[in-house]
Amino acid sequence: MVKKTWIKGLLACSLATVVLAGCGSNNSDGKSAEGNNSGGKQQKLVISTWGFAEDFYNKEVYEPFEKAHNVKIVLETGNNADRLSKIMQGSSDVDVIYLSDYYAQQGIEAGVFEKIDRSHFKNLDHIYDIAKAPNGEDYGPAYTVGQLGIAYDPQATGTTIESWSDLWKPELKGKLTMPSITSTSGPMMVDAASKISGSADFNEDKAFEQLTALNPSVVKYYSKTSEFVNMFTQGEAAAGPIMQMYLSDLQKAVPGIEFVTPKEGAYAIINTLNVVKGSRNKQLAEEFIDWQLSQEVQEKAAKAKVDSPANKDVKLTDEEAVGVTYGADVVENLQTLDMAFVNSHLKAWTDRFNREVTR
Amino acid sequence: MKKRYLYLLLAPGFLFLTLFMIIPLLLTVGSTVFRDGGFSIGIYTQFFKDAYFLDILGTTLLVSVMTTLLCIFIGFPVAYYLSKQPPRRKGIMLALAIFPLLTSSVVRSFSWMIILGKNGLVNNLLTSFGLVKEPISILYTPTAMIIGLVHLFLPLILITLVGVMESIDHDLVQAAQSLGASKLTAFRKIIFPLSIPGLIVGSILVFVGSLTAYTTPALLGGKKRVVATFLYQNAITLNDWQAASAIATIMMIITFIVIGLMNKAAAKFKPKE
Repeated sequence: MVKKTWIKGLLACSLATVVLAGCGSNNSDGKSAEGNNSGGKQQKLVISTWGFAEDFYNKEVYEPFEKAHNVKIVLETGNNADRLSKIMQGSSDVDVIYLSDYYAQQGIEAGVFEKIDRSHFKNLDHIYDIAKAPNGEDYGPAYTVGQLGIAYDPQATGTTIESWSDLWKPELKGKLTMPSITSTSGPMMVDAASKISGSADFNEDKAFEQLTALNPSVVKYYSKTSEFVNMFTQGEAAAGPIMQMYLSDLQKAVPGIEFVTPKEGAYAIINTLNVVKGSRNKQLAEEFIDWQLSQEVQEKAAKAKVDSPANKDVKLTDEEAVGVTYGADVVENLQTLDMAFVNSHLKAWTDRFNREVTR
Repeated sequence: MKKRYLYLLLAPGFLFLTLFMIIPLLLTVGSTVFRDGGFSIGIYTQFFKDAYFLDILGTTLLVSVMTTLLCIFIGFPVAYYLSKQPPRRKGIMLALAIFPLLTSSVVRSFSWMIILGKNGLVNNLLTSFGLVKEPISILYTPTAMIIGLVHLFLPLILITLVGVMESIDHDLVQAAQSLGASKLTAFRKIIFPLSIPGLIVGSILVFVGSLTAYTTPALLGGKKRVVATFLYQNAITLNDWQAASAIATIMMIITFIVIGLMNKAAAKFKPKE
């Protein structure tokens, strides 16, 4: 009896799926017809991005590109996970997607990106090596490389911080905020914890021992940068790992905050661009990526303190470089994680983090 | 219209709900037990053997129960007061009471952060009156979650209670008093029992709302998680939709159990016809 109901249910479901799928393909057919008949008609490029600094992007990145290529840019905004998961569910018409390297790797493993042709990019030779192929030669480059270091309030903590291991100082008890394991910088903290445990190679068990020892100091594991800034403003936290780009925001909220590049080395926060599989405008999508890598866009973004540059030709004055990860000496010394390795361990790490660390 | 065609009026709603609610729900539940061509409830036994999950479930239930009790405690007298007001005044006051529901939960939660934080209003008051030496931790604790959820869901219980209390025949109270019942007895024997249906509906709404709330616990809660944020972690950041579906199913079952229990309790209190 139960079985019968199930079969009926499944039948109904599959019927519904067919109907819905039918609608879907009709839609896209309509669109392609429109695209083909276009002639002089405007094309459409759908870009999936976070949506921060939207004014800057509209004015300096999207609008000039729209004018130069007679194209209408349509935005889809949201965080990494939401946007990627939407593409993985197959219900989107995104052409270009902005993602952190770590989520880009997930997308690659799920097979939702087009392979790019490196010969189509004029600006690739002008960007740092670290940015050229963060997820392999077949996939998109990074347009910004920032550093993850530590921000802290020397007055509120009553101590100085110079290294990752200083986060374990007893003075920071109840004043520390750490990235959640599932945020981009979470796995970097696992790596840092392994390093300070004294193990030469990555040692998962030792890393988790260290993180567990650190847990009593932590007020909250943050998953959004806005939470980090807010916790400093509210006096809930006075130290924690964060991207350098947020220093000026933090200093506006709490004067006297300092940013340090830890002795053991800061981590590279890499944001990438990829062409989504099934894009009808692959060529245009690649041109957009190339435009985002150009010295012109990169320099403007750095000066507006929107993105740290990946382009080596960008020149900044000392003042312009405050809060920006800038200069070959800095960028080329950043540490990177093997994203394929991180991805294959993330589920297990999250589990251990939930059970061992935050208990 | 002939009576037997009346059911056609249900068709649009029925079709919509089947397509967009019942089928997705069945798919969700089905995906947790039908795996690799076989039937297994292994994922559920795994969850209920897992001390970590039980801990999260415990926190969630505790927060939901506390929120519901506080909403009843605060909401009941307010609803009684509101139901006694002249219509115009009542309308304005109810609209004000519903206001929290109309604000985005993100904005609401951020306001609570400003109030409850170490540099916040509450701690400033406490320290300036010398009641505490060091600012106390309220934000990022289950207490903060409960405060945020009570603020959010109080209107639900108010609306349902006011609706029910308005329809209580005041003659009944007068009759009781003329027969020698004190005001308190009249309240206990007449107003309260007759408000039970509203109380039950309101409590179910608050409880289920708190059980499934995501934004408020994610922003105001600290290291303690609730089921909804755990579900989000599994689905969105880990892409483990099977685990997420199983958690969703567990939440649905809890909801049904709670509704069942509350209806039973309501039947007990219901005055005999």
